Amino acid sequence: MGEIIEFTVNGLKRRIEVEPNELLINVIRGKLGLTGTKYGCGIGECGSCTVLIDGEPALSCLTLAIEVDGREIVTIEGIAENELNHIQEAFLDQGAVQCGFCTPGMIIMAKYLLNKKRNPTEKEIKEHIKGNLCRCTGYINIIKAIKEAAEKMQNSNVKAISKEL
Amino acid sequence: MAKKVFSVIGKRTWRKDGVAKVTGKIKFTHDISLPNMLYGRVLKSPYPHARVRSIDVSEAEKIGAICLTFKETPKVKYNERLVSVPEATYKDRTVLTDKPLYVGEPVAAVAAETEEKAQRALELIKVEYETLEPLMDPEEAMKPGKPLLHESVVVADRVVKVENNVACKLEISEGNIEKGFGEADVVVEREYKTNRRYHLQLETKTVICKPEIDGGVTVWCTTQSIHNTRILLHQIFGIPLSKINVKKAALGGSFGSSIQTNTIVPICVALALKARRPVKLVYSREEDMHDHCCYQVILRLKLGAKRNGLLTAGEMHVIVDIGGHQIQAYPLLGCMAGWWVSLYKIPNLKYKGIAVYTNKVPSCAMRGFGNPQVTWAVETLMDELAEKISMDPLEFKLKNYVGLGDIFWGQGPTVKSVITSCGVEEILRKGAEMVGWNKRGEPREKRGRVRRGIGMARGFHTSGAGGPLAGQTVDYSGATVKVNEDGTIDYLTALMDCGQGDYDTHAKIIAEELGVPLRNINVVLTDTRSTVYDVCTHASRATYVGGAAALKAAREVKGKLLEYASRVLDVNPNALKIKPDEETGQGVIYIEGVPGKSLTIGELASLARHKNWGTFAATVSLRQVKCPPHFTGYFVEVEVDTETGVVKPLRIVAGADIGTVINPGLAEGQMHGGFAMGLSMALHEDTPYNPESGDLTNKGFITDYKVPTAADMVDVEDFKVFFVDTHEPTGPFGAKGIGEGATNPVAAAVVNAIYNAIGVRFYELPITPEKIVKALREKEGK
Ligand code: FES
Ligand code: FES
Repeated sequence: MGEIIEFTVNGLKRRIEVEPNELLINVIRGKLGLTGTKYGCGIGECGSCTVLIDGEPALSCLTLAIEVDGREIVTIEGIAENELNHIQEAFLDQGAVQCGFCTPGMIIMAKYLLNKKRNPTEKEIKEHIKGNLCRCTGYINIIKAIKEAAEKMQNSNVKAISKEL
Repeated sequence: MAKKVFSVIGKRTWRKDGVAKVTGKIKFTHDISLPNMLYGRVLKSPYPHARVRSIDVSEAEKIGAICLTFKETPKVKYNERLVSVPEATYKDRTVLTDKPLYVGEPVAAVAAETEEKAQRALELIKVEYETLEPLMDPEEAMKPGKPLLHESVVVADRVVKVENNVACKLEISEGNIEKGFGEADVVVEREYKTNRRYHLQLETKTVICKPEIDGGVTVWCTTQSIHNTRILLHQIFGIPLSKINVKKAALGGSFGSSIQTNTIVPICVALALKARRPVKLVYSREEDMHDHCCYQVILRLKLGAKRNGLLTAGEMHVIVDIGGHQIQAYPLLGCMAGWWVSLYKIPNLKYKGIAVYTNKVPSCAMRGFGNPQVTWAVETLMDELAEKISMDPLEFKLKNYVGLGDIFWGQGPTVKSVITSCGVEEILRKGAEMVGWNKRGEPREKRGRVRRGIGMARGFHTSGAGGPLAGQTVDYSGATVKVNEDGTIDYLTALMDCGQGDYDTHAKIIAEELGVPLRNINVVLTDTRSTVYDVCTHASRATYVGGAAALKAAREVKGKLLEYASRVLDVNPNALKIKPDEETGQGVIYIEGVPGKSLTIGELASLARHKNWGTFAATVSLRQVKCPPHFTGYFVEVEVDTETGVVKPLRIVAGADIGTVINPGLAEGQMHGGFAMGLSMALHEDTPYNPESGDLTNKGFITDYKVPTAADMVDVEDFKVFFVDTHEPTGPFGAKGIGEGATNPVAAAVVNAIYNAIGVRFYELPITPEKIVKALREKEGK
């Protein structure tokens, strides 16, 4: 028997019926059609399915949909309002995207980190994305991109990323 | 020669699919859904070697699932990989089987309204298995009297008997090895064993099949070749090619795991044809890890050299543990020989390669097609030899390497060509200087718990699989370039981009040739219907072959543009040039030194429509008659903790000769990614088997399949990549490949660095901390 839950996804209020055992990743990708969130393992090993729940990163493949009742979710599709944000631009500047399958999860983690800390060290960047596997880039350009995004946010008169949410 | 100034080649630009990728909007096969679609699941053998006695699907059918067993699927024998000519293609499998040969081999399949229901149906299928003796070790499997996994295979419609589980073999010899070894002052012989790695491409294998009303099918799948997928489906199901359409989607990495048509593709097609509804089949990670892996080899290598540093003879014996089926082990044997003889000049040599069936997951190409394995052995043995003749390994290698003017084996013994560009010496000299090679010290000088070492290895890979003679490999590409009525360009290719950025490379080549702004090139998401044949994205051929096809089509279009423009401008076409113009956002056709007499491509294309001249377009098919190697060299500094055995990379200097660099950012990314993959080949990755159950000990979980995370990589400023200045005369704008050369020598460099740190050599990968601690204890115990 399904249950009705209400939550916000990328700024939009949603009201849907979910099964008690239904996973958030399937709701996001299937019912909401937001396929930017990726399935890479389904059991919490790769980070491809990372989304923000009330500003905190969560693996949507390990989260039950009913748990997000009343909460606020941001997926890759909601990370920038219209155009690209600094992180997305920096990923493109630095060649941090190859196949792009890990990219949504990486960008979500980068956003979380930069929300918390405007000028993270390289070590902090690595610590934050070490749960997100990338098989293509060897991470170097991803780390460069996150550094570039942090710098751009410091040096230009950009509104805090958290406000974009 | 004056250096050519390019307008877009060599410039750092955003990749064309980049915005779609960073916004999550791009569609991978995983992301495609169709109306009225069913979900498929596959029933897989829990035994490594068994016979299906009976199979009962009635309970599953009762809950409404569509079920499929081997009884109903076509019995055509095939090989999933269609890159070689029929005489070199060994066919040993069918869509589903009644004699599973590895844990995970599909024996039945279902489709239902939801994935959950499909899974429930799967659990209701009753299978009675008769278990057979599993053969988990290739050397055991080859012994006479062992049960045969396959009685016979089909090669070019001939039935060939299999003896002693030997899938195929190849022997090559040149010169006289007895004489050669006789002339050597020093001979070293070692046995190497590689790990059984898994690609871990981030998108698991996926397929969607939609049956069409005309009896045909439309297919989306994770693949490196849409055309070969179509041809294979035609071979299996007998559907005319014109009624099969394989459509592109973005591919979430691959690294060779989808050169062949994925095993689940024909299964999904069979399900969809039976259900008469679209079916989507997505492999879970556990299933994916039970689907494919990299070739594991036992390699015996013997090399002889004189004190003056010249190699005199070599012998290599390779046993490849291919698993339950051939995914083209035969060309692999040829390629491994080719990689070996193309590293160093060996005047007298003998090679023997044997591929053996075992009851394990079938193995296939993984970034290098046997090259990382061969290069690991050769580059570490060369280090040992150098030490024995008291020569710097770098000098020893420079004395013997295969370079400019030498013959290169690009795809085994039947695809060879002469090397016409080579930056090996510059890579090694410059890299040595950057890393401080001469200050690395000897292992015996290193003290303390944590010891540092620097290692070096060089390597290469082919760019494409074409040669002057046809050979046993199919290698050609195609392209369509058409000018739209506003001067923008549509580019159509069948070649797949697995993420490395091939579409950007091609777009830049076309923009450069046509003289139009890069943004005017639109790379169309094509299918088999809208494109001419391309064999496959493998053998690092996308730039060198695919790019050359794009260039040829662009050149033809340019000829047509200039011809018509010459009439409009009333000059000889040879007087005309085209360049990108920021103001109009167009390619402008102009006469040098004559201002005012010009028109944009958009104006010309629009005029051509109004005057009914037709469309400026060209479709070409192109084979390169060369296979130029791209060269790489890695210098790696590591730190070894002698108490825990943990190895940490500290500093990387990576040099490459890839000819003209078309996309610097993405090319550097290839080197970074290639390093990460080679590093974990040396230190982490393996899929061992439980000898009792015959299943993977990690059960298909990434948790127990270690790959590098961001935390395992060196700091950004400690990873230096440089490209030497070379020009490949046969490449598009002088370019060659990079993808596989970027990883081939890495494991060897890491292993040599470990030796430089602790003075111990390892002959079995991965070199785990346990192995290091054990070896150090043994060494000190003496
Ligand atoms: S899909 Fe959720 S962690 Fe891999
Ligand atoms: S870009 Fe392919 S997995 Fe990260």
